[in-house]
Amino acid sequence: MSNHSWRTAALAALALILIGLLIWRPWRSGRPVSLGPQQQVETINPKMGVHTRLTDEVEPAKIKRTLEMVREMGAPWIVEYFPWAYIQPRPDTRNWVHADDVVNHANRQGLTLVARLGFVPEWARPKGTTPLYLDEEHFEDFGRYAAEFVTRYAGKVDYVIIGNEPNLALEWGYQPVDPAQYVRLLQVVYPMIKEASPDVQVLAGALAPTLAPPGSEWGVNDLDYLQAMYDAGAADYFDMLAIHAYGGVFSPDEPAATDEINFRRAELLRQIMVENGDEHKQAMITEAGWNDHPRWTRAVRPGQRIEYTIRAYEIAQDEWPWLDAIAMWVFRFPWDQKSYQDYFTFVDTDFEPKPIYEEVQRYARGETP
Amino acid sequence: MSQERSQREWKWLARAAWALGLLIGVGALAVILASPAVNPLSLLPGHDGTWEAMQSRGVWRVGMDPSFPPFESLNEEGQPVGYDVDLARRMAAEWGLEAEIVAMGYDSLLDALQADRIDSVVSALPYDPRETKDFRFSPPYFEAGIRLAVPVGSLIGDVDALDGHTVAVEWGSMGDMVGRRLKREDTAIELVQVPTPEEVLDALATGKADAALIDNVTLRQAQGRGAQVIAVGPALESNPYVIASPHKASKLGDQIAETLTRFQENGVMAELEETWFGPPPAP
Repeated sequence: MSNHSWRTAALAALALILIGLLIWRPWRSGRPVSLGPQQQVETINPKMGVHTRLTDEVEPAKIKRTLEMVREMGAPWIVEYFPWAYIQPRPDTRNWVHADDVVNHANRQGLTLVARLGFVPEWARPKGTTPLYLDEEHFEDFGRYAAEFVTRYAGKVDYVIIGNEPNLALEWGYQPVDPAQYVRLLQVVYPMIKEASPDVQVLAGALAPTLAPPGSEWGVNDLDYLQAMYDAGAADYFDMLAIHAYGGVFSPDEPAATDEINFRRAELLRQIMVENGDEHKQAMITEAGWNDHPRWTRAVRPGQRIEYTIRAYEIAQDEWPWLDAIAMWVFRFPWDQKSYQDYFTFVDTDFEPKPIYEEVQRYARGETP
Repeated sequence: MSQERSQREWKWLARAAWALGLLIGVGALAVILASPAVNPLSLLPGHDGTWEAMQSRGVWRVGMDPSFPPFESLNEEGQPVGYDVDLARRMAAEWGLEAEIVAMGYDSLLDALQADRIDSVVSALPYDPRETKDFRFSPPYFEAGIRLAVPVGSLIGDVDALDGHTVAVEWGSMGDMVGRRLKREDTAIELVQVPTPEEVLDALATGKADAALIDNVTLRQAQGRGAQVIAVGPALESNPYVIASPHKASKLGDQIAETLTRFQENGVMAELEETWFGPPPAP
């Protein structure tokens, strides 16, 4: 074979490989999935929301289907997690593909997205620590990520939550739980976000409801923690309080009590806001809900779960003017967790609606039970 | 001349690389075998360290969460009792061992297995296909999924015969979900949604419903109390209970599977079910 023939054959092979890659890549990543027409949520209760869990949902079509089903259920709000480590796995690398999918599909479905930011990449923490470990040395790195996030999604994401349940040792990377340190994080990150996108609302707290006794190695009572946040000067560094309000085995009408974990514990957190001069600020419940696992000690019957969930949406709408939205944990998991967590969901992993989905949908449509 | 020299050099380099690789391999093997944490036998194919440890201690360490009667709970003396407790003890006896029941929270069971704190989990554990990489699951020993239940003597033999009938379900439950699915798939049923499983069975007993969709644990418990209700057709939403062991425990896994098969054949499983649920009604 002559040199010319070899060259022609090599070019042909290269062309075939390139064509193969062009065909294979979109197939491999499941792209493209069209956003579809602009939608809007129809509901009788504009405060209804759910916490989606799309972090590990790799298929764009399933991201879209999830958000369509949220809209069809009648919930205008979603809370979703955007792990820093996924988007910035190395200091000089950004991967916005998945986040873009979630944000764009949520917008197109007419949903208001509340973005929870956290999960520290390896390069921003000491070796051997968990991805929830964030030391003061890297507060600014996290702030830069948050600022980039709100800049990229200006006009699409108007709410961000800084961290998650920092009153638990687990969620604070097994460092000693320290409200003052969390406030220092807010003091670094809040101005960076505001400079990048002044209209974005910064949510703080998202505290885990817990009755941990003083000195516990596992966590700090959420009421004590919030007061300690104010004592450390948090008030000027957040716009809204994020609240976690799980109901346990109690009805949502069970009165709040300092020694009880129930839905109306949210009122005690609100009271602390008022006592510290923050009555002008709004709050948002970013996790809540009841569980109907047949053998978990903190679960209720499936019918109670439906009643309590709808009643909680009603309370948010009718009784709590200081609350903008309430997001129930959790709409769907990409795969079965094979634990009590599966019994918090509204639809199965294969998108089959659970009865609670259909009953909440009926409520949102104003249909009487 | 220079080509011959080059070939000689390549041959020499290849031999040197081969010798170096061999040296590294032998060295690595020596380090592994010298480690007190490694039993050299464990490197042999088919070796099961879990099974050998059970034999040497004479005990099968069984993890369970004793909060799910009649499978496992604590009696007034604080001792574990139930279907799974008896099953574990009967199996251990077959192997000439004693079963040591290690009580712990349900969500810790598989972690404890991975951490070698227990040898197996026998705790009404549903099969999880995602975990087969890490754990060795036995064949199912109890189907806890959703069954179509009808009164004894009913002409309804399976879901295909449900058209035009009323079906009781606990509102919001998995049975309710299956019922709604059947309706979406054009089975002409009317769902009777009630708040509790007991009311589902009442609806069946009083004729308010012709059939019910209910989990098999609740159904078997009702049968044990004398309810004249039977399950027809296969499970409509399967939830099989299995025994889990470490993935590397091949011998233990084989022993569990063989013993369960033997217990099915010689009536031990039926005996255990009758002991803890009561006898099923005659069809």
